[in-house]
Amino acid sequence: MKTLVKAGLIGVAAAIMASAAPPSPKTDRAVLRVPYWMVGAAGPVVHAKLNGETVKVSRLLGPADDLVILLVLDLAGDLSRVDPARDALIDHLGRLPANAMVTLMRSQDGLRVLQDPTTDRGVVQSAIQELTISGRAALLDTVETALAVGDAMLVKARVRVAVLYVSDSLVGNYREDFANPVVNSSDSRDMSRRFPEALIKERLQQVINRVGKTQTPLFIVQLNYESDRLNEAYQTGLIELAASTGGEAEFSRTLTEIPVAVSRAMERVLGHSSAELEFKRAKARQWEIELVAEGTEVKHRTRFLPGGDAK
Amino acid sequence: MVRAWRALLIVLTCALAGRAQQQPQQQRQQQQTVTELQKAVEEFRVQTRALGLRADSPSQGKNAKAGAKWHGRLFENFRNNFLDAVPHEIVQRGGTKGGLQRNQYGFNLSGPVVIPKLYQGGRTTFFSVTFEGVREKIARTFLRTIPTMPERAGDWGATVDSAGQPLPIYDPASTSANSNFNAAQPVTPENLQYNRLPYAGNRIPPTRLDAQARAALDLYPAPNSDAGPYFRNNLFIVAPEVNRADGLIARVDHSVRERHRLGVGVNYSNGFDGAAPWFSTIANPGPVSRERQSRRLTVEHVFTLSARSINTLTADLSSSRTNGKPALDARGEAFPVYDFSPYLSMGRSYPLSRNVRDPWVVTNGFSTRRGEHRLRVVGRVTAEHVNSYWPKYPSGNYRFTAGLTSLPGINNTGHPFATFLLGLSDLAERSVVASPSYFRKQGYWLALRDQWELRKGLTLSLGLNLDTNSPKVEKYNRQSTVDLQAINPVNGRPGALVVAGANGRGRAFQPFTAKLEPSLSLAWNIGGSTRTVGRAGYSRSYSPTPIYQGQWSTQAFNGTPTLVSSNPQLAPALRLADGFPLIRTFPDTRPEAANNTVADLIEPRGLQATYNSFSLSLERELSSSLIMTMGFGQSGGRNLLLSNSGSNPNAIPLAALEYRDRLNDENFNRSLRPYPQYQRFDVYSSWPEGRYQRDAGYLQMEKRTSGGLSMSASYEFSKQMDNYSGPYGVQDYYHRANEWSLTAGATPHRLSLSFNYELPFGANKSFLTVTDWRRYLVEGWSVSSVTTVASGEPIALRPQFNNSGGVLDVLNVNVAPGVNPHVANTGPEQWFNPAAFSQPADFTVGNASRTHPSLRNPGNQNHDLSVTKRFALSAEQSMELSAVGLNFINNANWNDPDPMIGPASAPNVNAGRIIGSTGSRVIQVGLRFSF
Repeated sequence: MKTLVKAGLIGVAAAIMASAAPPSPKTDRAVLRVPYWMVGAAGPVVHAKLNGETVKVSRLLGPADDLVILLVLDLAGDLSRVDPARDALIDHLGRLPANAMVTLMRSQDGLRVLQDPTTDRGVVQSAIQELTISGRAALLDTVETALAVGDAMLVKARVRVAVLYVSDSLVGNYREDFANPVVNSSDSRDMSRRFPEALIKERLQQVINRVGKTQTPLFIVQLNYESDRLNEAYQTGLIELAASTGGEAEFSRTLTEIPVAVSRAMERVLGHSSAELEFKRAKARQWEIELVAEGTEVKHRTRFLPGGDAK
Repeated sequence: MVRAWRALLIVLTCALAGRAQQQPQQQRQQQQTVTELQKAVEEFRVQTRALGLRADSPSQGKNAKAGAKWHGRLFENFRNNFLDAVPHEIVQRGGTKGGLQRNQYGFNLSGPVVIPKLYQGGRTTFFSVTFEGVREKIARTFLRTIPTMPERAGDWGATVDSAGQPLPIYDPASTSANSNFNAAQPVTPENLQYNRLPYAGNRIPPTRLDAQARAALDLYPAPNSDAGPYFRNNLFIVAPEVNRADGLIARVDHSVRERHRLGVGVNYSNGFDGAAPWFSTIANPGPVSRERQSRRLTVEHVFTLSARSINTLTADLSSSRTNGKPALDARGEAFPVYDFSPYLSMGRSYPLSRNVRDPWVVTNGFSTRRGEHRLRVVGRVTAEHVNSYWPKYPSGNYRFTAGLTSLPGINNTGHPFATFLLGLSDLAERSVVASPSYFRKQGYWLALRDQWELRKGLTLSLGLNLDTNSPKVEKYNRQSTVDLQAINPVNGRPGALVVAGANGRGRAFQPFTAKLEPSLSLAWNIGGSTRTVGRAGYSRSYSPTPIYQGQWSTQAFNGTPTLVSSNPQLAPALRLADGFPLIRTFPDTRPEAANNTVADLIEPRGLQATYNSFSLSLERELSSSLIMTMGFGQSGGRNLLLSNSGSNPNAIPLAALEYRDRLNDENFNRSLRPYPQYQRFDVYSSWPEGRYQRDAGYLQMEKRTSGGLSMSASYEFSKQMDNYSGPYGVQDYYHRANEWSLTAGATPHRLSLSFNYELPFGANKSFLTVTDWRRYLVEGWSVSSVTTVASGEPIALRPQFNNSGGVLDVLNVNVAPGVNPHVANTGPEQWFNPAAFSQPADFTVGNASRTHPSLRNPGNQNHDLSVTKRFALSAEQSMELSAVGLNFINNANWNDPDPMIGPASAPNVNAGRIIGSTGSRVIQVGLRFSF
């Protein structure tokens, strides 16, 4: 009986302690946080598979749970597109739910924090209003860092985190030379620029490969929509880049579409859920994820590269 | 004791449960929320501080170091004919090998500027430098017609016309007036104005051959092809073109406190365009090799005044220089031009050149927002310097026509080359450039733009430019023109040479111009839907007269003394044996100095080409990644600047054709011209008489997916008409409406397809996610393709003979009534029906349009493919191997059919037929290492 009582007390104490602190990680266990959206009626994810094998869903965070939005402005071009974007962001910030915190960063000429995460919308709105449009586009140079910061927050706190880039970047306004301009104008038989997208595609693939192991979803609102071959490859790459993290890229063809694109992206950010999968670490080239919910369809990130599975 | 433990446990449990019940569920959650968000915020601060992303980061360290990474690439692109298909044109002439060796190599390096121990650019100062070198040797092919070896020796016994009938050569020394000539009747073989005897056996006696002509023929190649018909297309040239170029682009960007950004760029390129020699001797009529240099300096300062105001100041100073490098004789002189068309001429125009063009542009743009208006004001100042030494015929131009070896007034007799053998030129000229020209002009441009969100979903863009341009001047006032109002002292008629800056005249011959260029466009999300965008736009613009290279409009200082035959059928202007006499010395600023020449004429009103365009389009997002656009556009222009083939202000009115053979008399002919003291005017692509209109409808589909695939397809149907274009020129200078026809070179149907696909194989992709060594094979593949298919251009038909006494520079064909010009099965043997057209009678105009309204040359298609394989060496380093195939299906596009229509008595047997095709697959292999 003594033994029983001791065990009971220890169990209760352990339960109390367990509720006060997150479970301590085990080094042979890996944790993935999979962003997902419910299509249709909402319902909990009931089980998950990783590379075809069922794994434990250790935690679910839904739209009602806390959210930190890392808002990154990458604006280096035309004011006529930047201003509507600013207006739209300010408008949406005023309507954010109470469980959302926003941090503001600028991307041009390197990532910098303009405003720490806060629920004070006015502060962020003022910072957006006052942001100067200068420097060179840098989405591709900074996105990994922004996602890494997001990942670190995901590990430390039970919150949802999303990175939202608002960018007017074009291939031509990066500092790095992706446009591959003609060097020798007298060389009329140059074929190396017949397919001018090679350099930007290469860079995008590098970035896509590297962000494959991050866990924070990336959303991009691209204020420009260009149809030339070079920017077409860039914009297709942005779609692939966002999708590879479970996020999405939105494009605006007219000024009117800018608030709509911002709105769509915000809705996706606010509406995203996160499923935390816990599993035994094993050597794998990639992790293919399948989430299933009863009675509803789940749209979710389907692939991760090992390496970002911090606990 | 047991009871006591049980009681304690119950109490403890109840106490815990009771405390939990006292805390409302929501409050507990809130406590937890604050805690979790605080943790997140704290972690954000820690991470961003560590990464140097914050103002309070200890050293901005990590990020500064991360920013200090240098990126770059090394590349080599390689082409060689062993990778390529043999060009169709070479195969058709019996060849088995093309000729191509090409290496394109270079590097790029970019990153923050770092000067050890002195300066760490970090994120504020950034550089980029790209070098590229090219070494290339490429075979060029040409199919031309040259005289046969017997013809060169004076033996024309085997020579036939385009119908295969013997071509008689007449002896100009045997010319005598026909006493029985009836001047009231046309000249015919039965009613000759002049009698002339054919050479016996159609062979020019060797003693009659001009010594200079014979000597020149030693520099002419022998025929080497029999493409035909008859002896035509008998020289197939395969010649190497050797090119080299080395260039560099360097740029430095520096930011100061996020408000100022300064960019400085430098470009240079040195190159040599080694033109393919058509002949291996100095008589080469092919293009001239040239050295090229270009330099460019750009400075840009962007000043962010506030969150809503930006000012951008740029200066763009560039200079390009070309020097002709022709083959010269022992005296350092170029070979003269001997023009005996239709045979390939000897020598070429503009062999020597030293040209410099320096455009300097300073632009300032200011953008700001006022309410719903986004305003932009741009001011621009341009200065252009053109320094030029470019004599057209420094060693002389000698033209030979059939007239002197023909039976006067009778077509299809005599031959220009036979006249050359006799050394009898009917027009001889020689350019004298005593001093190079230094042309200057300035432009001032002010633009206002307002983008105004009229209401939600409707954005209006309004623009107004003020474009002002100064006229061209010459630095030393060595500029002249013909003033069409000034009286010529020789004949008392209007038209005399005037000089800039002399006799009360200003430095320029055109006025200062100021034009307003309005534009208006709108974008409308129809019905408030963001899936559908309607766009409309209108704009008007003007194009100032450019500065051309060369000595045009400096005739008082650099001229082309000219000798013209008094009657090209009866008397030469010059015998080669006599040499070119000294006619004028320069400067020669007399009002009559340009008399009897082709006089340079500057349009005095300074009319500018005016363009109007209107467009309407509808974009519809069909799904999240598929966008369809359809649209219509109309554009038009007037006062387009035309060249000498499109304009002739000294043309003889067509009514003068009634004078028939009298027109061959140069003095009589000249008397009919508006300005008889001049042969004609050289307007040098500057006479504002052109007009065009283009209507086009198009449909585009674009698809971009997250699977790395993007595709686009576009189709355009267009119709373009004008009053000037074509390979030959216009027939009626005085009635432009008669010249309104389809634009030569315009293609009504054009389809373009392209795609770009990152293959979904390997890690983080959908398929073949192999983990072993095979991943190196399956990962990193991408494929791109561009396909264009275009219908043919309108056919411009041409009669074989133009016997109009010099009234018509260009003669159109006649349409045979009731004959269908189209054939049932088009092919190289018969592309169109030549029987639907005929050669107009002598001294009449053709009634067909300049370009045919429905006959078109063969269309063409091109399919290019690029396959690349990327090897990721590390997170930052990769190697990319690429293979680019131009025309990768090795498609051959037909050449154009022979458009020449002969007379019924000697029809061109080749009319409507196609000789050969061109094109070949070219492969380029590239290797690039990126880091």
